[in-house]
Amino acid sequence: MALLEVHDIHAGYGKMEILKGVSLRVETGQVVSIIGPNGAGKSTVFKTLFGLLPVRQGHVRFAGEDVTNEPPAALLGRGLAYVPQGRNVFPLMTVEENLRLGAYIRPRSAELDREVERVYDTFPMLREARRKRAADLSGGQQQMLEMGRALLLRPRLMLLDEPTLGLAPRVFREIFRIIEDLRRLGQTILMVEQNAAKALEISDYAYVLELGLNRFEGSGEAIRNDERIRRLYLGR
Amino acid sequence: MTDFIQLLVAGISIGSIYAMTAIGFVLLWQTSNTINFAQGEFVVLPAFAMVLFLTVFRWPFAAALLATVLVSTLLLGFLVKEVLVARLLEAGVLPLVIATIGLSLLIRYSLQYFWTPLALPFPPVFSRVPIRLGTIVLSWEELMNVLLVGIVIGALQLFITRTKLGWAMQAVAQNRTLATVLGIDVSRLVTLTFVLNAALAAVAAILIAPVYLVKYDIGIGLGLKAFYAAIIGGFNQIRGALLGGLLVGVVETLAAAYLSSQFRDAFALVILIAVLLLKPEGIWGVKEEWSS
Repeated sequence: MALLEVHDIHAGYGKMEILKGVSLRVETGQVVSIIGPNGAGKSTVFKTLFGLLPVRQGHVRFAGEDVTNEPPAALLGRGLAYVPQGRNVFPLMTVEENLRLGAYIRPRSAELDREVERVYDTFPMLREARRKRAADLSGGQQQMLEMGRALLLRPRLMLLDEPTLGLAPRVFREIFRIIEDLRRLGQTILMVEQNAAKALEISDYAYVLELGLNRFEGSGEAIRNDERIRRLYLGR
Repeated sequence: MTDFIQLLVAGISIGSIYAMTAIGFVLLWQTSNTINFAQGEFVVLPAFAMVLFLTVFRWPFAAALLATVLVSTLLLGFLVKEVLVARLLEAGVLPLVIATIGLSLLIRYSLQYFWTPLALPFPPVFSRVPIRLGTIVLSWEELMNVLLVGIVIGALQLFITRTKLGWAMQAVAQNRTLATVLGIDVSRLVTLTFVLNAALAAVAAILIAPVYLVKYDIGIGLGLKAFYAAIIGGFNQIRGALLGGLLVGVVETLAAAYLSSQFRDAFALVILIAVLLLKPEGIWGVKEEWSS
């Protein structure tokens, strides 16, 4: 049984339909990527999965249960964490406060304290900056903060939307190294990444979307080596 | 010098009431993007309620106070949020602004029409015996205003910085979308903010009523001054609203005494314009360039 099963979902804004029938499967332990050109609806898939946009047609199953159109808080409780695109921190709060707000739905506990420490072990940069305001962090540090925050929810599935958007090459490599580490630790990840070639390298499976529809799918390697996809989306 | 100290205390006293009203402004703006132009009437309505309970029903003071806070939080907190704000929030800032202007007119002229166009006396809350410190004469009212406002703001600050719910409130203020993504019930927090604002307004009502008398239109000036105070101090900071309120109170009291009492209400505007020219985000405000 797949951890996440998305069957033919339709969603959009007002009269504009962005997703016109998208289907996905993510198995526990996999890293799955969604690639495709701008406007393919990649981010919209995440917003819809996470209950920020209504599913107009189709359904979403998570861990065997129908979760179509459940609100974010309920999905978080089920173990789905979402790291949205762009800068998404509480700018006037410290790094530590931001992290702890990530675990808002969990009660305060000694266990949570230990997990906060573990996040600092994964992201030593954050430990150094723990008393800094999130607004004063660099783009890469903010991204790490967002990923660390999601990890505090001990998610069964992590949705990563464009984790390296706008980051310098050195930070870019660092983020990818962390994603690979997480994968080794068994973290299931569904991600959208603008650097498709790099994302496919570490993906077990990948979906190519175009104009709100599934276009191709296959193992990361198969998609990476597919001539048509190379020409169309990987730019080489 | 004696005069100056007395005026200063009077200014701080009235300023602390402005500050409390201004803090309500800030809270509403931060969590629900509501610029509440009915803020003045949010103070006037509980003042009338207090008169009703105290002089018409002849309830003891504590019971009247409790009932006033209850009525205020239910009507101006809960009901306004559920009926007005919940429906208009998605439509953006402007429809809500217009709606609060409508609400202020509704409250103001309903009080005038259905109750009285006259000023109602308000029984003194504190002893009228003056306090003499050498040549300086102060009133209990002034001192207790400052003390009570200090306690209320202190408690509010503790709530916001020390409790999980308060944290969630800050989170909603700083990044609404993210708060939702992390499982914070934004709608519930907006309700909480409206209830808190209504409670602050009720306390402000009880403190200001003995100063101004209770009249249907005193909310116009009060609401505006709280609005100026919030802008002067910084619309996105509680401490900013506190500073702005005190500043407006002190400056207008001193200026009325030493410069011109006819222009009493204009001095707040002078500070407002100066701040807008020199530091538009407010004295203690934070630029919002990071917000998306």
